[in-house]
Amino acid sequence: MKDLSITGVTKSFGPQDVLRGVDLTVPHGSFTAILGASGSGKTTLLRIVAGFERPDEGEVKLGEQVVDDSRSCFVPCQHRRIGYVPQEGALFPHLSVGRNVAFGLGRGPNRKERVDELLELVGLSGYRRRYPHQLSGGQQQRVALARALAIEPDIVLLDEPFASLDAALRASVRGDVLDVLRLAGTTSILVTHDQDEALSMADQVAVLRHGVIAQLGTPAELYGHPEDPELAQFLGESNVLEGEVRDGMVTTGLGRLAVREWSGPSGGGTAMVMVRPEQIALGEPARGELEATVASYEYFGHDAVVRVRPGTEGLPELVVRVTGGTPLEPGHRIGLSVLGPVVAWPAPLGNGETPE
Amino acid sequence: MSAAGGVRRHHAGRRPLPRLLTCAAALVSLVVLLPLAFLVVQAVQVGWAQLHALLFRSLTATLIWNTVSLVLVVTALCAVLGTTAAWFVERTDLPYRRLFAILVVIPLGIPDFVVSFGWRAIFPGIGGFWAAVLVMTLAVYPLVFLPVAASLRSADPAQEEVARSLGLGRLRTFWTVTVGQARLAIFGGCILVGLVVLAEFGAFEILGYQTLTTEIYNEFQVGFNQPAACALSLILVLLGAMLLAGEGSVRGRGRTSRVGAGAASRARPARLGRGSPLVLAAMVFLVVLAMGVPVGAIVYLIVQGGNSTLPPASLFAATADTFGYSVAAGVVATLAALPIALLSVRFSRRRVMALESSNMLVLAVPGLVIALSFTYVTEHFLEGRFYQTSPLLVLTYSIMFFPLAIVAVRAAVTRSPVGLEEVANSLGVRRRSVLWRVTLPLIGSGLAAAFALVFLETATELTATLVLHPTNVQTLATQFWAYESNVSYSQAAPYAGVMVLIAAVPGYILGRWFDRQPERGAMAGGPAAAPAPGTLVAA
Repeated sequence: MKDLSITGVTKSFGPQDVLRGVDLTVPHGSFTAILGASGSGKTTLLRIVAGFERPDEGEVKLGEQVVDDSRSCFVPCQHRRIGYVPQEGALFPHLSVGRNVAFGLGRGPNRKERVDELLELVGLSGYRRRYPHQLSGGQQQRVALARALAIEPDIVLLDEPFASLDAALRASVRGDVLDVLRLAGTTSILVTHDQDEALSMADQVAVLRHGVIAQLGTPAELYGHPEDPELAQFLGESNVLEGEVRDGMVTTGLGRLAVREWSGPSGGGTAMVMVRPEQIALGEPARGELEATVASYEYFGHDAVVRVRPGTEGLPELVVRVTGGTPLEPGHRIGLSVLGPVVAWPAPLGNGETPE
Repeated sequence: MSAAGGVRRHHAGRRPLPRLLTCAAALVSLVVLLPLAFLVVQAVQVGWAQLHALLFRSLTATLIWNTVSLVLVVTALCAVLGTTAAWFVERTDLPYRRLFAILVVIPLGIPDFVVSFGWRAIFPGIGGFWAAVLVMTLAVYPLVFLPVAASLRSADPAQEEVARSLGLGRLRTFWTVTVGQARLAIFGGCILVGLVVLAEFGAFEILGYQTLTTEIYNEFQVGFNQPAACALSLILVLLGAMLLAGEGSVRGRGRTSRVGAGAASRARPARLGRGSPLVLAAMVFLVVLAMGVPVGAIVYLIVQGGNSTLPPASLFAATADTFGYSVAAGVVATLAALPIALLSVRFSRRRVMALESSNMLVLAVPGLVIALSFTYVTEHFLEGRFYQTSPLLVLTYSIMFFPLAIVAVRAAVTRSPVGLEEVANSLGVRRRSVLWRVTLPLIGSGLAAAFALVFLETATELTATLVLHPTNVQTLATQFWAYESNVSYSQAAPYAGVMVLIAAVPGYILGRWFDRQPERGAMAGGPAAAPAPGTLVAA
């Protein structure tokens, strides 16, 4: 069992602090996504794990072995048994697909069998003699994966491997890669800025923000219980309202709602309340329900996003996600209701800035 | 999508510079700038009073006028000829355009002094300003043609279509959009033409046209008047530096932009219609003048001279010596360019860029001036040691053609992004093994191109060789020159023939190699995108 543990890792480039103390444990056999906006330091973290970059402080451990303690102990990347799949694959352009995959294999007797096996694993059996430029982006990506898996790595690192693929291809390549990694049973770390990708693929998601891990959890935990409003916004759309928490209920402009989670004082208090777009239901304006006007309607086929302006004073424009149905004209009057309990955070003191 | 192209450069410019590489690069830059430093030393020794007297005399004014007017007229003609030819070849339905794309470039492989030799052999009365204009234009217009053709090939034809849809006529579209897209390439080519004309010696000597270069040579080699040669060299270098400065100031402003990553559609060639035979005739005429005359003259002279006048032993010896020097210069320049190219591609930051561009200063220093400053220093400070020895000659060649090597090696290094080496490392492969299995195979062909470029230029170099070649060694160029000076044309012709063969054939292959190089940055289509044999300005 080789868990990867990262402890207190910092890294700066000149005056710029990229990582400011990252702690992260990736359990053996899991699929962990590191999610962060561009410039959040996620690629730097990955490169430190791979051994391409050294941390200023902190420690990286692979199982019981320290591979980098930021001082004297350093295992160079060629001895770490970490497979690396960079963006756009980075296949060796002068080598055939078969030779690319075989690159890290020794001169063993069953080298050819191993290559065939790996190519079959990624669904590219007939492609051994092709060259990288004869492959599509998705195929290149799968060859890069096969090449990384050839050395039977303890961990596979995926650095935004799907970013360069077009949207239609991305979903299918993502699925293929996930299947291959599950089959191979390796520990995998995916770096991405795409929250859909992180939520759909990973067992565990770490959100990297301002050089630290802001939250770590399963996709459901992150989406359902973000630790602050900023994380809520980052992991999908959300409506953030003001409210007053008392006795497990919060009073907002949308009425009295059940609170799922409250980290504030037990007696209650002023709060920020998150309502996900799919938690709001639209209906005919009925008595006792909140009324609103449709501001815009975006149709996506499987669902639609409606922006509504509530009639009540002091409520912001709300984002509502509805499944199918007939398009709503702007100006149309409708009724709103909130489904299920909501997440509330204690409101920041003073000028309404969210705490870190 | 290219497999290697997508590897991101991580934090380039933040990692510390590798010390060994930096030292090597700095050392190379120092050596490359030696001739310039020596020129300053010479000037200081001569003293201001004497320099003043030498500079402000009517001969100087005449020489400057002769040189500058020639540079301007040849450059303007090359710009028109090169751009028009490039447009016909790349953007119209001209018959046999692929063949013309090759034929039109070949004159670049023929040394300028051989071109003028050919014209002189066929029209013995030819000489003076307009003869110099004719010969130089025909010899160097490919320097404009090549980058402009590359830029037209890569430019987005949709812009022309948009211009047409906005109601612009064909001619205005050509002028505002097509020429606009290619303007950086045209300008880059023109700078090269200017630098080549400034440095040319042999062609003008043959045509009896006096420029700064011919006068410097005569003052130094014939009149042994070192102070005068030094004073005139200063002017020549200053003119070259002005050209380079103009190039630098324009380059920064150039932008070619294309929104989005969609592949540019292939241009639909403009139809020449009834003008087609006329244009075809004009292109044939150009090829006949630029390539037919010198090659025809050489062949005619060899055939007419018959076998009896051929001195086979010395032709073989000269070829062998030329070959040796060219190989040595090619190896030295390519290896010397490696550290600088590696630094500038992998650690692009201001200090490195300054180092790289300082090497380009040598472009402003003609080979003759480099040779003279080495002569001066060996005579005055080394008691004649190294003077007219093979090592010094090879060093001179390497410095002269160093910018060429840089351009090609840089293009080569770009093909092996550091990300690929990292991936190789992560696959458990040792560093040295990565060098053999990844880096060298990727950059090998580019290094070979750098070597070939320097090799070709060295094989046809005349001026510096005349000054610095060891007395018991003759290269093809010097032996040619000796016969030519004696008006033994048919004896000179075989040497010219071998030089053309050595230069033109691999020159063509090199041109193709550079055409396949991926575009780089804002200089799209500029001289950096498609340098060719004889191309001197680097990115």
